[in-house]
Amino acid sequence: MNADALIHKDYFTDQSLLLDPYEYFRQMYAKGPVYPMGGGDVLLVTGFEEAVEVLRNNRDFSSAISTSGAGDPLPFTPEGADISAQLDVFSEQLGMLNLLVSYDGMQHANLRAIAGNLFTPTRLKATHTFMHDFADQLVREAVSRGRCEIVNEIATPFVTLVVAEILGVPPEDRDKFRAVIDAAPPAGNMNKEDANEGAAPQLSPLEYMGLFFFEYLNDRREHPRDDVLTHLAQATYPDGELPDLLEMVKLSGFLFGAGQDTSAKLLSNAMRRIAEDPALQQQLREDPALIPPMLEEVLRLEGSTKATFRIARRDTKIGGMDIRAGMRLTVALAAANRDPRRWENPEEFRLNRPRIKEHLAFGRGVHTCAGAPLARLEVAAILQHFLQHTTHISLCAEKHGPPGNRHLEYEPSFIIRGLANLHLVLES
Amino acid sequence: MPEIRVITRDGDQQSIVFTPGTTLMQAITEGGIHELQALCGGVCSCATCHVFVDPAFAARLDAVSDDEDGLLSGSAHRCEQSRLSCQVRLTEQLAGLLVTIAPEDE
Repeated sequence: MNADALIHKDYFTDQSLLLDPYEYFRQMYAKGPVYPMGGGDVLLVTGFEEAVEVLRNNRDFSSAISTSGAGDPLPFTPEGADISAQLDVFSEQLGMLNLLVSYDGMQHANLRAIAGNLFTPTRLKATHTFMHDFADQLVREAVSRGRCEIVNEIATPFVTLVVAEILGVPPEDRDKFRAVIDAAPPAGNMNKEDANEGAAPQLSPLEYMGLFFFEYLNDRREHPRDDVLTHLAQATYPDGELPDLLEMVKLSGFLFGAGQDTSAKLLSNAMRRIAEDPALQQQLREDPALIPPMLEEVLRLEGSTKATFRIARRDTKIGGMDIRAGMRLTVALAAANRDPRRWENPEEFRLNRPRIKEHLAFGRGVHTCAGAPLARLEVAAILQHFLQHTTHISLCAEKHGPPGNRHLEYEPSFIIRGLANLHLVLES
Repeated sequence: MPEIRVITRDGDQQSIVFTPGTTLMQAITEGGIHELQALCGGVCSCATCHVFVDPAFAARLDAVSDDEDGLLSGSAHRCEQSRLSCQVRLTEQLAGLLVTIAPEDE
């Protein structure tokens, strides 16, 4: 397809961009590191420096639209050089989730102070045995069958159970949570009709899980235990105030939901890379210490979040470029991670690139993913067991076609880069 | 509004206003000093917000946790004054705090 036709596609609805969003980003980057999408008033940020600048400028750029995106027209006409008041009035119509990811200013800082203490090295170390035992069990079962579909059979149950264990969700409720999460559309869903399906309004996964978390947290305030839910139940804001229980309920549900999907997608993106590169696979099998650097390069090249979104709260600038209050930005993390000004031969997979941890797969600034330390650990753990128990892992040709002509299906999302399924053949 | 004083890697000193309750890392980065990378966003999992705290203020800070200690021990520039700025919460009592951004680890 010629470049002009490609850049005029609608990033928010056109599912032909799912297979290779990187080509779309590349063509847009060729026009400029900050460039209007489809000639409209939403800017696509594809440059690394520019993306970092936006993500770090949480004074001028609001996160109110961080997960709802910018596919629909603004529900109001921005007035003046500062639209803070309009953002407050129209937050609901902007699709703002009343969650940590969409909060700004002190509201965000207060809650983040609590969320930022959840996945500390000590707490993660305490889950090491559980995580590895469970990974070992799942992988052994899959290897004994000689094949698996890693996204749904391994990745999702694994990350769900790990985060459930860390939080302290009782075993009998974990399957219920997974069922509602699995049935819900992905974050950044491109299929708008999904939202209107069915006559009776149903509880969203967050609402459903919220009912449970309300009970758990109430219980933990009465009967503290040694788990993250107790930490959340007892946590106070930096000024000493005890948060409203509802805020902690929403945070718990969000950690559970957000904690699973992106990690599961990361695991399958990494596994696709390993399965398609036998030399890399053997190198990792022989030296598992290379798994963490391999994962960083997967995060750079194919992290599970393609983009996040911001709206200019007031007139400001990116580099020397004027940005008017009310302008919306698609901050393409996946594009910034391939910006040739920042990364030498950006399309190439290279282990141990200098300063690789500066990639933007987990964002940057105040909204940097608080679960990143957990994601890195759990994905590395299960990959290690897969490599240890196999002599060769490859993509199933029956399901995905022969090498060189693979068919892969990605979830219809303008946020998530995630395979819908990935069938593997496991030789041992 | 209280202020902190920050010495950057090229030796310049800047004063930055802070809101009590925020972390030292937030105050420094929001004050426009971008050489402090703070890659993990303040969740105590990297050591890219390493600073040296002037000894005159050391007694007014909370103790270093085991997690912070573990991360700092991975830095080639660790010294007595080392802190991860994301783990230092600023209070009115810390007005005037003087910190130096630590050299970057390779």
